[in-house]
Amino acid sequence: MERPSRLGTGAKALVIAAVFVVVVYPLYVVLATSFSSEADVAKAGGLVAWPAHPTLDAYRTVFNGGIVTRALLVSFGVTLVGTLLSVAATVGMAYGLSRRDLVGGRFILLIALFTMLFNPGIIPNFLTVKQLGLLGTYAALVLPSLVSAFNLVVLRSFFMALPGELYEAARLDGAGDFRILTRVVLPLSKGVIAVVSLFYAVGYWNAFFNAMLYLDDNTKWPLALVLRSFVTQGDAISNGEGIASTQAIQMAVVVVSVVPIVLVYPFLQRYFTKGVLSGAVKG
Amino acid sequence: MSGKNIVKAELGRRSFLWGGVGVASLALTGCGSSAKSTAGKASSAADVTLPTFVPLAGGAAPDLPATAAGVPAAYYTYPAAPVAAYSAPPLSGGKISAMTPLFTSPPSGHDANPAWQAVEKALGAKVDITMIVGDDYDTKLSTTVAGDSLPDIVVITADPANLPGLLAAKFADLTPLLGGDKAKQYPHLAAIPTAVWEQCTSAGKLYFIPIPRNISAGSGFYRQDMFAAAGVNDCRDIKNADDFLTLLKEITVPGKQYGVAGSSGNGGFSAMPFLHIFGVPNMWRLDGGGNLTAHYETDEYKAAVEFMAKVYKAGCYLPGSQGWTKNQMEDAFQSGKAALIYDGLPGFGVAYQQAKKISPAAAPAPFVPFGHAGGKGVTWKDNIYFARVALKKADPARLADVLKACDFFASPFGTKEHMLLNFGVEGTDYTLDENHNPVLTAQGKNDTLVTFKYLSAPTQAQFYPGQKDLTDLMYKSYTDEIALAVADPTASLYSPTAGKKGTALGKAMSDAVAQIITGQSSLSALDSAVKTWRSNGGDQIRSEYQQALQGGTASTASGTPTK
Repeated sequence: MERPSRLGTGAKALVIAAVFVVVVYPLYVVLATSFSSEADVAKAGGLVAWPAHPTLDAYRTVFNGGIVTRALLVSFGVTLVGTLLSVAATVGMAYGLSRRDLVGGRFILLIALFTMLFNPGIIPNFLTVKQLGLLGTYAALVLPSLVSAFNLVVLRSFFMALPGELYEAARLDGAGDFRILTRVVLPLSKGVIAVVSLFYAVGYWNAFFNAMLYLDDNTKWPLALVLRSFVTQGDAISNGEGIASTQAIQMAVVVVSVVPIVLVYPFLQRYFTKGVLSGAVKG
Repeated sequence: MSGKNIVKAELGRRSFLWGGVGVASLALTGCGSSAKSTAGKASSAADVTLPTFVPLAGGAAPDLPATAAGVPAAYYTYPAAPVAAYSAPPLSGGKISAMTPLFTSPPSGHDANPAWQAVEKALGAKVDITMIVGDDYDTKLSTTVAGDSLPDIVVITADPANLPGLLAAKFADLTPLLGGDKAKQYPHLAAIPTAVWEQCTSAGKLYFIPIPRNISAGSGFYRQDMFAAAGVNDCRDIKNADDFLTLLKEITVPGKQYGVAGSSGNGGFSAMPFLHIFGVPNMWRLDGGGNLTAHYETDEYKAAVEFMAKVYKAGCYLPGSQGWTKNQMEDAFQSGKAALIYDGLPGFGVAYQQAKKISPAAAPAPFVPFGHAGGKGVTWKDNIYFARVALKKADPARLADVLKACDFFASPFGTKEHMLLNFGVEGTDYTLDENHNPVLTAQGKNDTLVTFKYLSAPTQAQFYPGQKDLTDLMYKSYTDEIALAVADPTASLYSPTAGKKGTALGKAMSDAVAQIITGQSSLSALDSAVKTWRSNGGDQIRSEYQQALQGGTASTASGTPTK
């Protein structure tokens, strides 16, 4: 391979530094603003690059009354349970559909793919959830979106790409489908399952629309919806008498919602890059 | 009433209503909640027997009285001994359900909220409110209607194109229950001025209960201190538009401070004060012959646009503020980066307090428009109500109970019930200061976010505890601005075309006007924009309103202030 020239390396470093700044600076400003006093925010005309008088007022306002704390718990619960159920259902369905001998498999797959092309719309969704008696329950946040067709296709393709010899070998040893799935396929699929889990988890964590439609009791709201009320409403957050400025509160809210995702990413990131299949056949 | 202008609630955030109304719509001005009563076809409030107005007797005497013109009463302190509006709870058991938008963070839940529980005890019934984040409200409303799971009381915000059909199918005609003297059974509702009730009809029937506001949303705010530094002590002293332009130039120090800031919510250019200075009619002008002229078509409008283009060219607009959020605009105003902004008058109290906190020398004041060629400007009667509630169809006995609840929620300032609804439970949610003004506790700030105030409401009193200066300023501003207020002659009329196309037509106009103001097209582009507006639906809207005007008898029923 040709050695990169000094100029080339320098240019690359510059580009990477620029991208780094472009990505990190907004996050930094969000953080800085969330720690700013009202006067700092007003002086800066909104977003603050350097909080001259750092304060935790915004966070105090956000956590006052326990509503955000409760919403955090709800979101953790829904994300955890939802992701487990979604991954289990998607893995099961993808495995089944990846078997070429499944009768009607193609038809079922088409039905699943159909949902990627045609969205039923808000009102039919709402009516379905209502008819199923799920209104006002956390199940309404999970069940209607249990299996994402996109994730299903990703997993199915992955399972189909596993060498047929693996399946044959397992069968010869007397394993049934369940055993093949749990003992052979899943251990080889950690990477792709991690990715799909992350997709689901981020989806559940960020989802506010279903909660808005299906949960009338705002003590059941997940974090995303509570935060939406802080961020979109802009004022009257603490009912007049603002202790912290609105922008600081909004940014504190952004921080609160982003931190859990940021904490989880590094642990999953390696799966994105790892060559998942290396050496699987040679064993 | 600008297109998607979701301006906030309370504290002066007007008109999140009107996601799309008509003609009127003016993204340019981002104006408030004047209203279109929405009838099936042509009809006006004059066809309906409205509730008889009965002023309340025996309430707490205000420090500054309400006037016949519509200036709201003002109180320096909360009345020392609030009177009980009810001797016994108006209801005896059962549940009242409701759906409202929410413009704050969510309140404490029912079980952890002593204020909510105390309200239920005082009302004599459970109150179950579904509160929806304001931006999502219309979506939720449509699913709730489709799912046929409407609660008793429903806030109707935007005017959907098929509102008349919706009302007829799902909501109760209140005429037999509230029309004429029947209203006397509900004294707090009967104390709402007729001008507000006029906005509550559809297809010749009374369908709504209003959440009243104080007639005019004003003409924006200005920094008296910044004007004074440039040689003008009071905006009322400005002699004409030329002097005003000179003043704005004088104030502007590029990079430091500017004459005017806009925000995307008010169309980008805080146009309202300029329209008022030039005497632009409130949406439509009705001449003696019964002919309507849209404000877009008037010479006054053209002159106002031409003037804003001059202000822009002179560099007096805060650069970039056209795309700002309202918060950004208000920050700029409060910190002295902009001397003039447009926001609704009810929001002035907050702006005033914040600006004083940043700098005690700051002197924000409501802008009172002068005349562009001497004399006086105008303001608009554009804040008659905040929203309207409709009641789900039910048998008369049930509706009577729901109306009793609405009457309870409309308990006026100075009653124990008003205190409870707004400040919660004494000791837990608020304490009384030495002037017996309620001061919310940390818990109270969360407990009192429950949206009782959107289930029906009394006319608003001005009350800024401990701030006599602000109270006086607001009272004087309302007095001055309501005196200049002109009505929208179509306010209580319905045009199907406006319902359908109004938003898009208004958006096209405001886009064209923005180009002219920023110098990207010449003033003559306004004529062609108006021509397009007319052919795309403007003329149709006009003829529908005119038909409605001729069909309706007597007055044009448009927000005339009452006693």
